Amino acid sequence: MTMRLNRREFSALVVAAAAGIAPQAARAVEGGKTIALMFDAFDSDFWITGNNILKAKAKENGWTTLETISNRDQNKQNDQVKAMVERKVDGIVFIPTDNNAAIPAIRTANAASIPIIFFNRPPAPNDNKYVAIQADNRKIMQTTVSTLVDIAKKQGGKYKAVLLMGDLGDNNAVQRRDGALDILDANKDIVAVVSRVATEWNADKTFAGLTNAIQANPDVNMLISPSDSEDKIIEQVLKTAGKWHKTGEDGHVLFAGFDGDQNGYRLLSEKYMDVNGVQNLFYEVDLAYGAFKDIWGGKPVEKMLIDPGFAISQATLDGKREDMWGYHVWKEKNK
Amino acid sequence: MSDVLLKVSGLNKSFFGVQVLRDVGFELPRGAVLGLVGENGSGKSTTMNILGGVLHRDSGRVELAGEQIAPANSRDALALGIAFIHQELSLFPNLSVEENIFLDHFPRRMDRLPFIDRRTLREQAKEALELIDLHISPVTPVMRLPQGERQLVEIAKALTRRARLIIFDEPTTSLTARETERLFQIINRLRAQGISIIYISHILSDVLRLCDDIVVLRDGQVVGAGPRADFTIERLVTLMVGRTIDRLFPERGPGSGPHSTALSVRGVSQPGIVKEVSFDLRLGEVLGVSGLMGSGRSELARIVFGLDPYSEGEIRVGDTTLPPLAPREAMRRGVAFLTEDRRGEGLMMEASITDNIVLPSLIERSSGFVHWLKPAALGEAARGVAERVRVNVKAIDRTAVRVLSGGNQQKVVIAKWLLRAPTIFILDEPTRGIDVGAKYEVYKIINQMVTAGAAILFISSEIEELIGMADRIMVMGRGEVRGFFERANFDRETLMNAALWD
Amino acid sequence: MAETGSVLSFVSGGARSRPMRAFRWLLFSDYLVLALTLVYVAALWLVVPEILSPTNVRDIFLQILPLFIAALGLMMVLMVAQIDLSATSIMAMGCVVGASIMTSQDGYLAGEPWAPVVAILAIVAIGILIGVLNGICTIVFDMPSFLVTLTTMMFFSGAAIWYTAAHTSSGSSIGSLPPAFLEIGYGGVAGIPYAAIITILLAIVVHLLLTRTVFGHWIMAVGLNPSAAAISGVPVRAVVIGCFALSGLFAAFAAIIYTARLEAGTPILGQRILLDVIGAAVIGGVSLFGGKGTVIGVLFGVLFLSTVDNGLQLLGLSLSSVYAIKGGVILLAAVTDAIRHTLMARG
Repeated sequence: MTMRLNRREFSALVVAAAAGIAPQAARAVEGGKTIALMFDAFDSDFWITGNNILKAKAKENGWTTLETISNRDQNKQNDQVKAMVERKVDGIVFIPTDNNAAIPAIRTANAASIPIIFFNRPPAPNDNKYVAIQADNRKIMQTTVSTLVDIAKKQGGKYKAVLLMGDLGDNNAVQRRDGALDILDANKDIVAVVSRVATEWNADKTFAGLTNAIQANPDVNMLISPSDSEDKIIEQVLKTAGKWHKTGEDGHVLFAGFDGDQNGYRLLSEKYMDVNGVQNLFYEVDLAYGAFKDIWGGKPVEKMLIDPGFAISQATLDGKREDMWGYHVWKEKNK
Repeated sequence: MSDVLLKVSGLNKSFFGVQVLRDVGFELPRGAVLGLVGENGSGKSTTMNILGGVLHRDSGRVELAGEQIAPANSRDALALGIAFIHQELSLFPNLSVEENIFLDHFPRRMDRLPFIDRRTLREQAKEALELIDLHISPVTPVMRLPQGERQLVEIAKALTRRARLIIFDEPTTSLTARETERLFQIINRLRAQGISIIYISHILSDVLRLCDDIVVLRDGQVVGAGPRADFTIERLVTLMVGRTIDRLFPERGPGSGPHSTALSVRGVSQPGIVKEVSFDLRLGEVLGVSGLMGSGRSELARIVFGLDPYSEGEIRVGDTTLPPLAPREAMRRGVAFLTEDRRGEGLMMEASITDNIVLPSLIERSSGFVHWLKPAALGEAARGVAERVRVNVKAIDRTAVRVLSGGNQQKVVIAKWLLRAPTIFILDEPTRGIDVGAKYEVYKIINQMVTAGAAILFISSEIEELIGMADRIMVMGRGEVRGFFERANFDRETLMNAALWD
Repeated sequence: MAETGSVLSFVSGGARSRPMRAFRWLLFSDYLVLALTLVYVAALWLVVPEILSPTNVRDIFLQILPLFIAALGLMMVLMVAQIDLSATSIMAMGCVVGASIMTSQDGYLAGEPWAPVVAILAIVAIGILIGVLNGICTIVFDMPSFLVTLTTMMFFSGAAIWYTAAHTSSGSSIGSLPPAFLEIGYGGVAGIPYAAIITILLAIVVHLLLTRTVFGHWIMAVGLNPSAAAISGVPVRAVVIGCFALSGLFAAFAAIIYTARLEAGTPILGQRILLDVIGAAVIGGVSLFGGKGTVIGVLFGVLFLSTVDNGLQLLGLSLSSVYAIKGGVILLAAVTDAIRHTLMARG
């Protein structure tokens, strides 16, 4: 008796599960193109926002999206590419975990003639067909720091700057450092870099490094950060040192951030930060989807598509904030 | 004092259509001790489990002090005043004595609050320990107590629940002789206080000594009941097995008798365990080893077999010295070892009879570099020895040892060593916890082996058994050899004295 | 007692009870997990018919290979009532060291024709060494294997990342492996991939080891009752150390196939699959308390987990629902298993 019931319950559950899945999956086959959004993990607002923008713009195009997440398992993600090929998607947006181990996935996509676009994580150089969307970190930092230096010139006077540099084993960090130095070296007459701090993307190291730099140079009045993820620590250190003042107040430290996340937006709008270098996520998604359309239409597409990004300052905040992805996160959280 | 506390009548119980109790009935007066004996599977445990609320009867009446009762579970039974002290004690070794005693009825602050009233707890625990003459601190963790004292704690626990009837199931199996004496004194004291006792044991001499009345069960029926004066050991055995066993111990066939030395132990010592033990075991003889628990007899067996270390001395098999801590080496020279802990060390309870039997012989019965096995041949060999020791199960390769009776399990342990055809067999308590019929068969197997020329070291805490089976008896005490006794000088009292003498 | 009644009626019943009898047999056999897999596939087939396409079925079987090998290794450790959490860090360590030897970008033996052979030997040696280390710490120093292998897991996961950083500029992985090595992942004979051939051979070896050799019987004995095994002359310590060594060896084999598939040695290889390895073994009927496990059971366990994953990948649902469904399906399997044990205990 018990067993018969079990079997019936079991079948009922399976049918119920299937029925629950059906409507969503049915959507996948009707109308337009279908593209796969293949993420490795959602560990920051950047990727969550990226995912939202990708989905929203796909919808605008009338496309259906399938999603996968590999949980940082490159082997699994390569298997997921096979599954997406099996589902006969028309295009793949790919955010891999490992630049070398992602190459077999490109080959899988190539074999099925499905365009694959690497979104902000390019693969190791290889001869297969792919498109990589990449923000030009050096360029964005150049724009950002030159905007900051312009503000400094306007205010007049000489500046002593601290340059935070992230982890120099990370290519992005190196690019950002070089971009900042490109501009600072050209303006040595007004800005002297008194301290460089390799934060290694580590909160404790940032705290200690910046505190030491300010103790050694109490008259520091310019600060360049390679990532908004360090903003909160910077705020803490500057408050402790009595240097946390708004633009226009006495003792204000000229402050450039990078990333364009919601902390960056908040500090700009509260007038503690002067400039922020923003990766233009919206533009990057347009680049990616434009590339899909070109490939489907048989037009040639560059292997590397660059997002030059932009710098946003207190003056341009109201006009440009719609393009700043951190503003949308901030808006969502402060609704 | 003659009024009846417990009256059981017409009790029936069946499992899966097999009737295990048939019309069982008996009476127990207030302040009396009732001995319950019978072979394993005769229905003793079922009867007691019904009284203790673990099982439910199909039909019949159980009256406690004139009222019909039907405890739904052991909590119910305890509330009615029936306490069941199991073979395996149910104490928590990491908790203290007082916590164990009051585990399910801690005195609470203001009687109601969910906080334990430690002071009352301590006082009540002290009182309870007084009652059983146990002079230890109530905060001692139970794991520091010897087995006998743990049992007394269990009794104290029953007393604090105002038990009117206490059931003891094989209480002396793990007790030393002194602890047993002490337990009997306590039982006599409880009896004097008007508490009734049901005492279940395989040790018939104890039952005859302690109990006022005796009930004998066989195949779920009462086959004998009456005051102790009506019974002798012989009559109890006859009633239990349902046939007359002329002798408790089988006749040994004609053999070559003791001859050359098989095992020679010289001056073996290990601090705190054994001291200067020397003896010779000859082929064709049974050397009995007697002694109280903790006398070093089991420890000696483990040392000889290479399981435990020793610091001094020499152990020789034939002409060669056995290396220490090398049971495989001992096995290769023909030594076998039946441990006293059948479940813990003798058998893989979840594995089949076949798998258990072939385990010690695998290497010798394999071939090639990878030690290849031929399952069919192994199964055949296992079936052979299983039949020899009369394990009467058809599919021995598909029957888990777990489902066998204690006696059959012990026969499996013997079978697994017989498959190696040992010349020296160390038997540590080979008949512990098995019923009279199975005991008799174990004795027969031992006799067969000796007749065939093997040497047997027979360790036992039952002196009668050694007197019945051994050619010589070595008595141990405090890790030392107290003396050797030849068959002509076997005498219960002399042997006991030798063991107890300090 | 109602159950008992119906059980008896199955035995004595006529034609009507036959399907129930078959169901009952299935419930108690190793094939239950396979049956659950088929039910799952059938349910998904209604929505994504691609799940039964020949290429997808082939993909599933290719995907399970390294996981299956690793789970077989773990099974042997579980059978002696120990656990090995380090299998995935062995994979990580093995694959980055192997890759650093044969990569054409500054590899120790870059360009040498026999570099892949040396790399494979190095991976195998690392597996065995870490396995033996686990075994010795567990047995000789009498530490809980959970603790020992948790420690080796953390140590070698870290060491693998450090090793990669020391051998590359990007720091995340070592690519550019020689084509001869990649053949293991992509090549084959007569349409059967080498990876499949290796896996099948290993599975047969483990099956024979467990059922037909002394060592296999010893593993069972140590798992069921180490004291009884020791008294019966089983070298308990050697058996346990041997099982850890085998687990390490099998993790190394899995690492070789993974590396050849990914065309790179990456230190985060396998970090995420530890639970899949343990889960597959346990779903496949291997007891965490020792003494119980079969090759076919583990195969079905791996197949089950991978099929569930594959199905969810094909669906391409939003991510939160994927986790919920996967958890639900595994829970369903666990509940079925629990019901089966309850029924089995009742006879």
